[in-house]
Amino acid sequence: MAEKFDVCVVGSGPGGYVAAIRAAQLGKKTAIVEREALGGVCLNIGCIPSKAMITAAHFYHRMMHDAPTMGFAIPKEIDLDFKKLQAWKQSVCGKMSGGVAQLLKGNSVTVFMGEATFKSAKSVEVKGKDGTQQIEAANFIVATGSRPIEIPGFAIDEKDVLSSTGALALEEQVKRVVVIGGGYIGLEIGSYMAKFGSAVTVVEAAPALLNNVADPDCVQVVARRLKKNGVEVLLNAKAKGYKKSKDGLDVTFDIGGKEQTLKADKILLMVGRKPNSDQSGLKNIGLALDERGFIKVNAQRKTNVPGIYAIGDIAGQPMLAHKASHEGVMVAEIIAGHNRAYDAKTVPAVIFVDPEIASAGWMESECKAKGFNDLMIGKFPFGANGRAVSMMETDGFVKIIADAKTHIVLGVHIVGPEASNLISEAALAIEMGARVEDLALTIHPHPTLGETMMEAAEATLGHAIHIIQKPLGARPANGASKST
Amino acid sequence: MAAQNVKLPDVGEGVTEGELVRWLVKVGDTVKADQPVVELMTDKATVEVPTPFAGTVKELKYKEGDVVPIESVLLVLDTDGAGAKAAPAAKAEPAKPAAAAPAPRQAPAGASASPQFAKPASQAPVGNGNGSNGSMDVYPPPAGANVLATPATRRLARETNVDLNQISGTGLAGRVTREDVVKAKGSTGGGAMTTGMIAPMSSKMPTAQVPKPAYISPAGAPEERVPLRGIRKKIAENMQMAKHIIPHFTLMDEARVDELVKLRTAAKASAEKYGVKVTYLPFVMKALIATCREFPMFNASMDDAAGEVVYKKYFNVGFAADTPNGLMVPVVKNADFKTTLQISQDIQQLAGKAREGKLALDDMKGATITVTNIGSVGGLYATPIINHPEVAILGMYKIEDKPVWNGEKFRRAQVMGFTITCDHRLIDGAVAANFMKAFLGRIENPSQLMLDMI
Repeated sequence: MAEKFDVCVVGSGPGGYVAAIRAAQLGKKTAIVEREALGGVCLNIGCIPSKAMITAAHFYHRMMHDAPTMGFAIPKEIDLDFKKLQAWKQSVCGKMSGGVAQLLKGNSVTVFMGEATFKSAKSVEVKGKDGTQQIEAANFIVATGSRPIEIPGFAIDEKDVLSSTGALALEEQVKRVVVIGGGYIGLEIGSYMAKFGSAVTVVEAAPALLNNVADPDCVQVVARRLKKNGVEVLLNAKAKGYKKSKDGLDVTFDIGGKEQTLKADKILLMVGRKPNSDQSGLKNIGLALDERGFIKVNAQRKTNVPGIYAIGDIAGQPMLAHKASHEGVMVAEIIAGHNRAYDAKTVPAVIFVDPEIASAGWMESECKAKGFNDLMIGKFPFGANGRAVSMMETDGFVKIIADAKTHIVLGVHIVGPEASNLISEAALAIEMGARVEDLALTIHPHPTLGETMMEAAEATLGHAIHIIQKPLGARPANGASKST
Repeated sequence: MAAQNVKLPDVGEGVTEGELVRWLVKVGDTVKADQPVVELMTDKATVEVPTPFAGTVKELKYKEGDVVPIESVLLVLDTDGAGAKAAPAAKAEPAKPAAAAPAPRQAPAGASASPQFAKPASQAPVGNGNGSNGSMDVYPPPAGANVLATPATRRLARETNVDLNQISGTGLAGRVTREDVVKAKGSTGGGAMTTGMIAPMSSKMPTAQVPKPAYISPAGAPEERVPLRGIRKKIAENMQMAKHIIPHFTLMDEARVDELVKLRTAAKASAEKYGVKVTYLPFVMKALIATCREFPMFNASMDDAAGEVVYKKYFNVGFAADTPNGLMVPVVKNADFKTTLQISQDIQQLAGKAREGKLALDDMKGATITVTNIGSVGGLYATPIINHPEVAILGMYKIEDKPVWNGEKFRRAQVMGFTITCDHRLIDGAVAANFMKAFLGRIENPSQLMLDMI
């Protein structure tokens, strides 16, 4: 006997669970299906656990490198119990996942644990530990996410070749790590492992790290820091395969037409993620996919099948949790009869490397591509910010790109301490259509990292206070970028 | 028993209401699905609206002459009656009112013409609790990257069905303010808004902000008040807007058309074999196109929002047609690729449709320049109004015998008046005079048109 709902969400990641809660808040009888753990990849094997590990590694790194400068007497070796670290990380995930369970319960959302398979556009079958259940619903929200991509020669076994899932669960320090992929996942995990003492080599096929995903000036700062922290980066290098040998794994790759080999104890395969559109019986119901396997959706995240919506990673780029959540709320409201459509101007993005990179809006190249040729660009370095200096975190800058005709902010790119927490102001500025003067004339509290945003805005106008710029009234044609 | 409401579906193209011309059914009639039930005149064309269901007509909700907003109930059908079984699909439909209603059919003459009329289904209401309706379009479309409006304003616009892409903001740097949205909502107005779900598609045409003074009737004056609606209303709006936006000037001159008269007389005789009536208009169009090639600023538009001049590399020539309903401007499409005979055919066909009130929307779209032939009615000269967003309109006037001084003596000549009315923002007086000279050269020596032929 099938249970009937107004809305059934498949997948409980940051898209799915948010959609379920909002649907329930709007009075819809709502179900959610999850095959692994509530909260999905993000809360259990993605964003949250990686942030726990990054925090621990950064803490460790600063004890070793910065604390002595401040006067602490630090022993040459600080013991790190990896098992305890893992237990702490797991407790973080557990708290978050438990929180989701509570919220779903509090909103009377019915949770089904098990693997969902679409039987028709109006019903799914859920195979769980306690048997099989049928769910019928007038509306389905597909939020089943994505999984790591594999490349030929490297099958993920989570023993020798690890995905992010395996890497985050390591219970010991690894001596030699080869990270395949210089994207944000590879660099986040590779960086923290290097801080824990692993010898890390990043193998990237493209000519640059974070190719086309981050402002090139920001990437430069991170590349310098990687080098300083002992991470080796090989660009234009195509990983071919690996062999087990007596003393570990021999990873072969092609660089400039020549084949080379690296020794490793673990290989981290982090070349991207692909949508799970081949699962959950989605093909049974005739959902149209694009050439990359994303479910085709419109601005309301409706699919070609009436009553079926898709959100999050499975519904297209960017594959970011906060985009999924925004879509989740929107779709729940659409189902409840509200007129909504996706019209956000920007999905801010954060890369938790060292120092952090965060961005909102367009890069210079994107501005030009969209026809904004006359730009004003202002940069303000954290080295000139009191709070950053007192934190001993002075690498990086805030860079603001604005349209020289209207002074409207088009993009903000931050590399530096707490970039992740600073970017929201930029996102708000862009959504509000703010001009650089709006940022410059807003009083920012002292002493904080946030002052850099105000100063960068001033820099676009040619008169930041805490850096030497050309005299007032002599703003160079392309903004203040030359004088910073 | 089941009563089904038949609603006036959204017919697209910015149409928000239509005037009910006549009922094609009466109470008690049995109708089949897709049978036309009412003839409706919108500000663009006359259409027949079919019923999506079969049944027996129970009630007609409007009288002939009434103005019906889109999405309002036109009539009530009893679908349990004999007719019901004729369309079994009807019962499955009622859950989706707007999407289910088929697009109204063009009046017969234009039946196959207008792809715009297939559009309404895709412009169906969004936010419908029944979920996806199969269409992937969203109305209003999400604001484009260059639209400046805060997230809260964007939401207000969506909830009130205002398309932000069509509003020019009054705020700093073109920002669309909350007030702009509220105002836009008011101006699209109409009954359509009352449903809160139906998208009154704001027309792409700009709307002029002009005062709307009242006219106070003197007490007891013998006057009659008639609502301004349909085509008359549209003409009023278009003319007002064109005069509001475009600084007009008109240049007048006359041509000796003895040669042209001969040519046309000959052509007329040979075209009659094909059943085509050749007038002077196709020759004037030919000369106009050839002259516009020399003076591309006449076949252009001003994109005021972008601050750009748009030069058009194609020629769709509109011609003003006087009809019982008022002025219509059907368009000869791609006139530069058509022979004089084909242009004549097009004109004959379009003018016929115009007289019968059966022009399809598509027949009146996309003109790049217009010719008005008021001289065929009378008058010496006129100062026509440009059909915005075009930048010029050519006037042609009656042919008369006049004495012409050839340096030694007067001789009799056939003379035809022409005017060229220009948008002075783009076209200066001297340019217009040169244009006229080049144009008249072709009219006076029609053999020159042979040189212009493709």
